[in-house]
Amino acid sequence: MKTILLAAAAAVLLHITPTVVLVKRQDAVNRLLPGADNFAARELHLSSADSRRLHDAVGWEPPDGVVTFYVGKRQDQATGALIFMRVDCQHGPLELAIGFDPRGTVRGVEVTKATVEMKPWVLEALRAGLTDAYRGLAPDQTPAGAGKVKPRVGAMPGYMAELIDKGVMHAAAAYRLFYGRK
Amino acid sequence: MLYDLRHSDLRVRWLVTLLLATLGTSYLFGAWMVALYAGFSPRKVAETYGPSGEMRMAMQMPPDTTVVTERSVSMAEMGEETHHVDMNLLVQDTHVHMPMYAVIAAALSLVTLGLTLPRWGGLAIITLLFAAPWLDFAGMWLTKLVSPRFAIVTLAGGWAMALGYTIVAALATYQMWWRNR
Repeated sequence: MKTILLAAAAAVLLHITPTVVLVKRQDAVNRLLPGADNFAARELHLSSADSRRLHDAVGWEPPDGVVTFYVGKRQDQATGALIFMRVDCQHGPLELAIGFDPRGTVRGVEVTKATVEMKPWVLEALRAGLTDAYRGLAPDQTPAGAGKVKPRVGAMPGYMAELIDKGVMHAAAAYRLFYGRK
Repeated sequence: MLYDLRHSDLRVRWLVTLLLATLGTSYLFGAWMVALYAGFSPRKVAETYGPSGEMRMAMQMPPDTTVVTERSVSMAEMGEETHHVDMNLLVQDTHVHMPMYAVIAAALSLVTLGLTLPRWGGLAIITLLFAAPWLDFAGMWLTKLVSPRFAIVTLAGGWAMALGYTIVAALATYQMWWRNR
């Protein structure tokens, strides 16, 4: 009985809290691809060699081998691209939307989803101006938002900022290496 | 019989009733969550747990060279997220949920031990209670690693879980409160 109770307590403690939407995907698209009136999904099914290349660059590859960019267009001219990126940690997943302008610099970053547990930490990091640090970032630059907000936030919001840095880095690497592929 | 729920103390019967009511409520919400995130048809389950969640591409192995496709999408399609459980999330889900399923199956098995049933009946129910989560997760992993056709195993696991709970809850409630003398 003691074992059962301990197992129950461990299961409860380890249980990941439900996901909450912080920004609706459609709102993120409106903010990150402003002015676009039509959209295309550009899906890249990566070869093993390209997956390895991405992994060598940033220590990450899409688990199912597919990277999807959403391209915003206005009168058939690309106004930018957006990618949704998931970052996992022991507290659950975060979902980010990372927007790029036509030159490939980061237009903005939105945190679209977090878990109930992570939400207050993420909001604290965002209130400290985390996403401002990504604006104008070139795809070959390393995101350093966490370093900027850490002196002003608690430990867990600082950790969330590190995870968001990581997601932006993965998205920027995918953009740099593959976005222009035909 | 290790103990007899029919003649057990009122406090034990009350405890078991509340346990069953609480588990039943959580199962109802579980079914609601499945409807929201995975669906009840083999196709929907295969899309959720299958490779890349996009069976139409039928690309289970990486291509020799990177393949780029582009198609028009509406704003609504971009906003619509197909919930997809990739390998990392499935590892996490299995790690987190299997212990909880084991505890639930054990709790319902303890209730089963107090029911007036032939030995084979008790064994069958206990087997069903533990087989359900195994089928559930085996189906998810087989759908991910072998073929989307195994989605049916996950569905079988889910229905087996519901069936096991219903049998135990119905028999326990009947024996505790209607056939207790």
